[in-house]
Amino acid sequence: MPQGIGKIKIRLPKTIRKGQVIAVKTLITHPMETGFRTDKKTKKKVPAFYINDVSVYYGDTLVTHADWTIAVSANPFMTFYLKADKKAPLKIVWKDIKGGVYQKTVQITPQ
Amino acid sequence: MKKDDFSHARRDFLKKTGFASVTLLSVSALSSIIPSGNLKVGSWLGPGEAEAAAAPENIRDKLKATFGDRKVKMSDVTMKVPIIAENGAVVPVNISSDLPMEEGNYVKKIYIFVDENNDPFIADVELTPANGKAALSLRIKMRKTSQVRAILETSKGALYGTNKTVKVTIGGCGG
Repeated sequence: MPQGIGKIKIRLPKTIRKGQVIAVKTLITHPMETGFRTDKKTKKKVPAFYINDVSVYYGDTLVTHADWTIAVSANPFMTFYLKADKKAPLKIVWKDIKGGVYQKTVQITPQ
Repeated sequence: MKKDDFSHARRDFLKKTGFASVTLLSVSALSSIIPSGNLKVGSWLGPGEAEAAAAPENIRDKLKATFGDRKVKMSDVTMKVPIIAENGAVVPVNISSDLPMEEGNYVKKIYIFVDENNDPFIADVELTPANGKAALSLRIKMRKTSQVRAILETSKGALYGTNKTVKVTIGGCGG
């Protein structure tokens, strides 16, 4: 079981040209429990606990939204693309089924 | 297309080609074009009839529930997956496409399915023209060796897809 839930890393290219399509790499610490796994010590089923909703806002606009299930790996890593055509914050919000909300904002500053 | 249209098309096709020249190949091509019975779903389970018939029941149901009887074009999508995944808990999937991402004509959703998982639906990602490119990388879990399918839905309602087999040596759903 990983230590700490909701640690977020977002990686962008070092320099961004205006209008460039950039890869946004995201990583969040989360166990993504399926509900099928048995705890080896207690012999009890570990209840399901996973992120099911990811939203990406560029400026005020929702540009990408993802629905996840238990079948996304633990510590989910996702890469998507974004057309960097304006100077604006990029906010990514992850939500899990127990009401956990994790978010991080990075600035997109095209040169 | 109504069934009658199909039988007309089929008749025309047979007339033009002649029964004798209908080779085994064109027969199988024909059957994948004309949906009949189970193959309505099967037309997008694989490029060939045999592959489609081999697909398990739950993925058929899932795809049918998601896309109805719409056809999936098996083109325009590239998917990179490992041939063998040692650990089914972490299988990197990389999907990309050069389909346009313009206002009014863009890829609005990317779906990932794994046939042999308890729930074949893994994830979907909704995109907008602001993404600039229809591509996605995600690490997924696989219970055992299975087909992995990527299906893209455009804003105009067209479906594009591809599928590949990933061999899994250790399953990734716990238990």
